[in-house]
Amino acid sequence: MLNNKLEVSMYRYNPEVDKFPYMKTYSISKPSKDIMVLDLLNLLKEEDQSISYRRSCREGVCGSDGMNINGKNGLACITPISSVIKKNKIELRPLPGLPVIRDLVVDMSEFYAQYEKIKPFLQNETTAPEQERLQSPEDRDKLDGLYECILCACCSTSCPSFWWNPDKFVGPAALLQAYRFLADSRDLKTYERLEALSDPFSVYRCHGIMNCVNVCPKGLNPNKAIGEIKSMLQKNKKDIIVSDKL
Amino acid sequence: MKGLIIWRLQRYSALIIFAYLAYVLSFFVQSQEVSFFTWSDFFLSFQMRSLTSIIFILLLFHAFIGLWTVGTDYLTKRTLGLLNQSLTKYADLIRNLYFLCFGLMGFIYLTLILYIIWL
Repeated sequence: MLNNKLEVSMYRYNPEVDKFPYMKTYSISKPSKDIMVLDLLNLLKEEDQSISYRRSCREGVCGSDGMNINGKNGLACITPISSVIKKNKIELRPLPGLPVIRDLVVDMSEFYAQYEKIKPFLQNETTAPEQERLQSPEDRDKLDGLYECILCACCSTSCPSFWWNPDKFVGPAALLQAYRFLADSRDLKTYERLEALSDPFSVYRCHGIMNCVNVCPKGLNPNKAIGEIKSMLQKNKKDIIVSDKL
Repeated sequence: MKGLIIWRLQRYSALIIFAYLAYVLSFFVQSQEVSFFTWSDFFLSFQMRSLTSIIFILLLFHAFIGLWTVGTDYLTKRTLGLLNQSLTKYADLIRNLYFLCFGLMGFIYLTLILYIIWL
């Protein structure tokens, strides 16, 4: 009979009521088929309405339900319970390193501030063509593995360098996006972008431990992008970089 | 470009220190007889003393960058505050004392090492 029950241990914290956070264990009948962690949370919420978590698309596109599932960051909506369950137990915690607003909901201001810092938009001051700025198929291919990021913050919040210096280290998610624009043939602010990343913290706090690669729910490789940025910084000469793109 | 200078200094110093160690090791491998006199002949030449002095200066730079990274990671308001909230207001002071400590230690080591090598 014991095997028919699933134990879900969940981080609970409501600053209006609780003095400290605590772990609460829920016992729930094991679903007859494999379901996603988000479905499990929905079942729990039917039992306990006070549980808080973010969710939206429920198909791994919006990046709202990033959380720490049995010690590893991931999206609850695309993580089957069969892949994380250990001895009939699942432990759910908020994304590590960010301030908790309530239960599994974290304050992502620091994460977005870093994203804003890298200026995540095309910068090109040449006269705009009538329709659109064209790109060769080869140049377009360079953006594969970069543009797919959904900003769920699973990678940045699994990175110790981001935990310790979230105000100075840009973090893997924003650095992946920084490289997305550095690699874009239509963006001509490469030199300025690299200058903005050249301090000892923004990029160089990445020591390549690859936690980001390990957790990315979209299978992206921020570590490789950071390596590319470091290579570009090695040969940061304004003339070379701009002439490469024109 | 400060980040790049620090990054390069740490990696190039590591490579140069490794090359120096390989060179010293080659003395033991290549020498037919290893004694105090052969070692003195090898080590007390002007070139070797200069090289060893440079290596120790690079070693100190290398260590300083590593320890500075540790200090700016773990001795901040955020990380010390995790241990005890009252430590947050002293975080900058603790971190600067830590830097001062190993800066002084590095200076003392370097003085002693140069004294041993040259005098």
